[in-house]
Amino acid sequence: MIPGDYVALAVILFVIGAVGVLIRRNAMVIFMCIELMLNAVNLAFVAFARLHGTIDGQVIAFFVMVVAAAEVVVGLAILMAIFRSRRSASVDDANLLKY
Amino acid sequence: MTGTLAGLPMRAASALPTLAAVGVQRTAWLMLVFPLAGALVLLLGGRRTNRFGHVVGVAMPFASFVVAVITFVAMLGYPASQRARDVHMFTWISVGGFHVDAGLLVDQLSISFALLITGVGSLIHLFAVGYMSHDPDRRRFFGYMNLFVAAMLLLVLADNYLLMYAGWEGVGLASYLLIGFWQYKPSAAAAAKKAFVVNRVGVAGFSVAIMLMFATFGTVTYTGVFGQASSAGRGTATALGLLLLLGACAKSAQVPLQSWLLDAMEGPTPVSALIHAATMVTAGVYLIVRSAPIFNLSMTARLAVTVVGAVTLLFGAIIGCAKDDIKKALAGSTMSQIGYMVLAAGLGPAGYVFAIAHLIVHGFFKAGLFLGAGAVKHEMNDEVDMRRFGGLRVVMPITAATFTIGWLAIIGVWPFSGFFTKDPIIAAAFAKGGISGALLGSAAMIGAGITAFYMTRVLLMTFTGHRRWEPDAHPHEVPPVMTSPMIVLAIGAAGAGAFLMLGNRFVDFLSPVTGAPPASRGLITPVSGATLALVVLGAVIAWAMYGRREIPVTAPAARFPVVAARKDLYGDAVNEAVFMRPGQWLTRLSVYFDNRGVDGLVNTLAATVGGSSGRLRRVQTGFVRSYALSMLVGAVLLVGVLLLVRI
Amino acid sequence: MTSLSGALAAATITPPHIEYGQLSPLLVVFGAAVAGVLVEAFVPRERRRAFHLVIALGGLVAAFALIISVAATPSLFAHGSPGHVVAMGAVGVDGPTLFIQGTIVVLAFVSVLLIAESSHGVSPFAAQAAAVPGSAEEREGLLRGISHTEVYPLTLFAVGGMMLFPAANDLLTMFVALEVLSLPLYLLCGLARRRRLISQEAAMKYFLLGAFSSAFFLFGVAMLYGYSGSVSLSAIAAAAATNVSSATLLYAGIALVGIGLLFKIGAVPFQSWKPDVYQGAPTAVTALMASCTVVSAFGGLLRVFYVAFGQLTWDWRPAMWGVAILTMLAGAIIAITQTDVKRMLAYSSIAHGGFVLTAVVAATAAGLSASLFYLAVYGLTTIGAFAVVTLVRDPAGEANHLSKWAGLGKRSPWLAGVFAFFLLAFAGIPLTSGFAGKFAVFQAAAAGGALPLVIIGVLASAVAAFFYVRVIVLMFFSDPAPDGPTVVTPGLFTGAAVAVGAAATLVFGIAPEPLLALASHAAAHLFVR
Repeated sequence: MIPGDYVALAVILFVIGAVGVLIRRNAMVIFMCIELMLNAVNLAFVAFARLHGTIDGQVIAFFVMVVAAAEVVVGLAILMAIFRSRRSASVDDANLLKY
Repeated sequence: MTGTLAGLPMRAASALPTLAAVGVQRTAWLMLVFPLAGALVLLLGGRRTNRFGHVVGVAMPFASFVVAVITFVAMLGYPASQRARDVHMFTWISVGGFHVDAGLLVDQLSISFALLITGVGSLIHLFAVGYMSHDPDRRRFFGYMNLFVAAMLLLVLADNYLLMYAGWEGVGLASYLLIGFWQYKPSAAAAAKKAFVVNRVGVAGFSVAIMLMFATFGTVTYTGVFGQASSAGRGTATALGLLLLLGACAKSAQVPLQSWLLDAMEGPTPVSALIHAATMVTAGVYLIVRSAPIFNLSMTARLAVTVVGAVTLLFGAIIGCAKDDIKKALAGSTMSQIGYMVLAAGLGPAGYVFAIAHLIVHGFFKAGLFLGAGAVKHEMNDEVDMRRFGGLRVVMPITAATFTIGWLAIIGVWPFSGFFTKDPIIAAAFAKGGISGALLGSAAMIGAGITAFYMTRVLLMTFTGHRRWEPDAHPHEVPPVMTSPMIVLAIGAAGAGAFLMLGNRFVDFLSPVTGAPPASRGLITPVSGATLALVVLGAVIAWAMYGRREIPVTAPAARFPVVAARKDLYGDAVNEAVFMRPGQWLTRLSVYFDNRGVDGLVNTLAATVGGSSGRLRRVQTGFVRSYALSMLVGAVLLVGVLLLVRI
Repeated sequence: MTSLSGALAAATITPPHIEYGQLSPLLVVFGAAVAGVLVEAFVPRERRRAFHLVIALGGLVAAFALIISVAATPSLFAHGSPGHVVAMGAVGVDGPTLFIQGTIVVLAFVSVLLIAESSHGVSPFAAQAAAVPGSAEEREGLLRGISHTEVYPLTLFAVGGMMLFPAANDLLTMFVALEVLSLPLYLLCGLARRRRLISQEAAMKYFLLGAFSSAFFLFGVAMLYGYSGSVSLSAIAAAAATNVSSATLLYAGIALVGIGLLFKIGAVPFQSWKPDVYQGAPTAVTALMASCTVVSAFGGLLRVFYVAFGQLTWDWRPAMWGVAILTMLAGAIIAITQTDVKRMLAYSSIAHGGFVLTAVVAATAAGLSASLFYLAVYGLTTIGAFAVVTLVRDPAGEANHLSKWAGLGKRSPWLAGVFAFFLLAFAGIPLTSGFAGKFAVFQAAAAGGALPLVIIGVLASAVAAFFYVRVIVLMFFSDPAPDGPTVVTPGLFTGAAVAVGAAATLVFGIAPEPLLALASHAAAHLFVR
């Protein structure tokens, strides 16, 4: 497989993640879809690193993982709080703020 | 047509060197400082200043008047070509290569306005001491009035468009505060909002013009813009002219942005006299005359100006004929008289001087008329319906006398002021030549006849005939603090026209700034004869209808033309049909129409904008997934646009 | 990053060279944040607030002093240099960055004052964010009068991220800064003491959409990395100049990175989070977001588009035109029918973002300095306006519905007068700072050849004036509601925030010259590359 194919795969994964954000109702699943998008980006970084023959892309992938982990911490805290008060993880139920 | 008026002497402001002010003129900025200080003291001082507030309120404009007179006398000491002086105050805005100084331009045009604003302004402030004596908020009133005077002086004395714009917004704000001064009346609050909203349209035109100037010339100072005006294309000049005209229309209540002025009469009468008759509403005329070098370059823009003026002068006069509210009749008259000035300004150098001359004498007689109306209203328990007046000349002789002089002045009877300033405008309109000249001249001449009709009607219904008063009305002559300003204004209304126009005094004074009109052909011409005949005819018809016959206390049922005029010639209805109805229709189409937000903002595009707003906000569904969808769509669009641009 | 890979390839690790002096403002703010975390761990609950206040305010003051001292270093701008690139190419220290950082620190200082306000015994923040709204646990927390003091370190971390964001000289640092500023804000949004359900909902929406937009940003970074082989802004610019690789990668990268930045600004069509989050978040946090975050996001946008994409102006300008037009119009039009004051201010903030974008489009030094000036004065006015919002209360907390504001001018003329003054500044009436700012950006846009944009901007501000005036009319010309809200006397901190906002709005309206001169001096050499 040449690096170009990995980039194409990354784009496909990214789109799957984005579509998942749009069609899933469960906040946790949406969040997982966003993680999928980030991992698609990681794949692209690594593939490009291979393409350019530098390791910057691989280092960046580690950065992204760390940042994503931090995001999980914050995100889960918020989602837990909202689940406890609403007894529902559906994002469509949280709909007080509108118009 | 080369874009300039062939054969006419053209001396634009830019052609004159603007010298730095020396000597006593360097303190011209004091004119602004006095009323501004007054406003600050009165508005921030709170109730502590209640006791002496009115004294401060009157003293400050008067102090400005003294400074203006000193500056004027100093100016007369210079030869005509060196009278334009620049007073630098401080550097206001400097961004990148762009630099605006806060500076004042003291020249023949601005000093004429400064004298009018401070002189007539002081008199009206004095009148207001009596008029507002029973109002618990008199101090605040004077604070706003002082603020207005300061802003108006900034408007006329600024030496660049940006500073003028600051004054322009300032007078708008003061006018807005004063129209809504009696805020407990819902009609006053609505009128204030309407004035503000309509003026937004004008301000948008004005600010786009300033931006266009900057984009074209890289500067917004008068000297800079006028100096390079001829190098810009005629298209740019036309665009600038039309945009400035839009600004002028809103501020000066010209068709099609006239609707706010009649409602603005909700404000206290001194406000109507100062802001909505003598000074602020003439700012549009000032803007056009000041921008003469731009308008001189564009036939199209000048034609648009004359058409607006001619239409408005008839429009206002017809409204004036049918209003039973004395202040609204006078407001219609103000629109009409400003229509004359705008018409004159649109005639180019042939008319600029006459526009300003008429503006100044109009300041005298219309302020006097409004103060007279205010005095009557004050004594008649705030009644404004002329059908409830009558026979007041017996109990209010001084008011009646000054009002009569104002009446003679406005209808233009020799030797009163209006004759000397209105006739040259009519003559200049005819002299424009061609079909347009004939049409404009006829409009102006017919307008003079209608003016005579409605002003005679106002005079007769108010001061003569039987007493049709409400039972609890006990009018007396107003105190001297109110009569004295009326007397001074009446003297001005009687003599100012002759003083300015005889011997070409004012023409010679102003022409270095505006260009000189062609020499006049004497006082009595066929045009002035015909005008006078029409005036007499109008007055006689009015006497036949209102002086001879008994006037019913309730307005009789009327046929179409009168009904139309009573309804401001359907100005609001047209607004409604053109702007509101389609807006409402569109909004009703939308299932989710929500009216909560648009309640008060009637009568303009607001309903349409509000309707789209009501629908657009529904896009914000509250569902996070639909937000994500809109982001994704946006992302796809953005990526698409960037990739497409590349191809 | 290239140096990093070089270092690894040689298998010997050279210690990176860090210019601590020039990074000191950032380090002080982050240091204060870490100290705040330690305070949470070791100081008894009742004394934490005082410790936090001293650390947070002291840290911000120190950071401001350090920014000034860095800016005053003669060697930084020697020989007409725009500035330095420090920390192995990760951070740029130059005129615009220092101006933006200084603005952020000042705005953050005022925001911290609002966050710290508890003179009426009520902190604006929840006692226990984890407690279920309406539960016994929550009531107990409220009765004991406790509140989350973690807000101070969270705020400082966010402020540190905001300062790093416009300074980041490579896209990876920028991404890290973006997350450092965003993550604490997500949490802060959910910590309101009252109306906790909408506060939590705001946090969730902000978090999900923010993470979504981060993914786009990061994907854009990957594209640009694929295009140029580096994430450094100057390397991307150099690659774009020589046109080394597939243009599709480059333009997709520009668009995707742009999405991440425009999201933070709240530009249409990435604005949808803004009204909901601004309404739901505690007002003090909204003030922080509406001022500091916007300034920081514009700083980052300006740096990326001026440095990395500076030679591609003609390619991104049409898209940016469209975004600016949509942003101005949508913000101004939708604001008209809003009934919640915070929501209205959110839409107003969207429209103002559009006004600044007109100057960004110019891509000149004048556009840059105009944007800097606008952001500074707009930020101060915004904080003042939100500070007033915190003072209008009814028994259930803040009275944000506009109908409650009717007749406010009769009951408390001073407060209503100050708020009206802020609204006039938003509307751009002369002699307020809003006028000077608006004029500066429109003038820069007109000079940059974007006259149609300026015309639309002027029209949008005319529309915007409608709803500002509508509120003024409501406050002064309507009868007060019988069950209307009370206006609490401002505590020392809120009073100071209102006063700072009003004074800045007035002073920079009458005499904008010194600040304008500073902004144009800062922007004279654009960003360091």
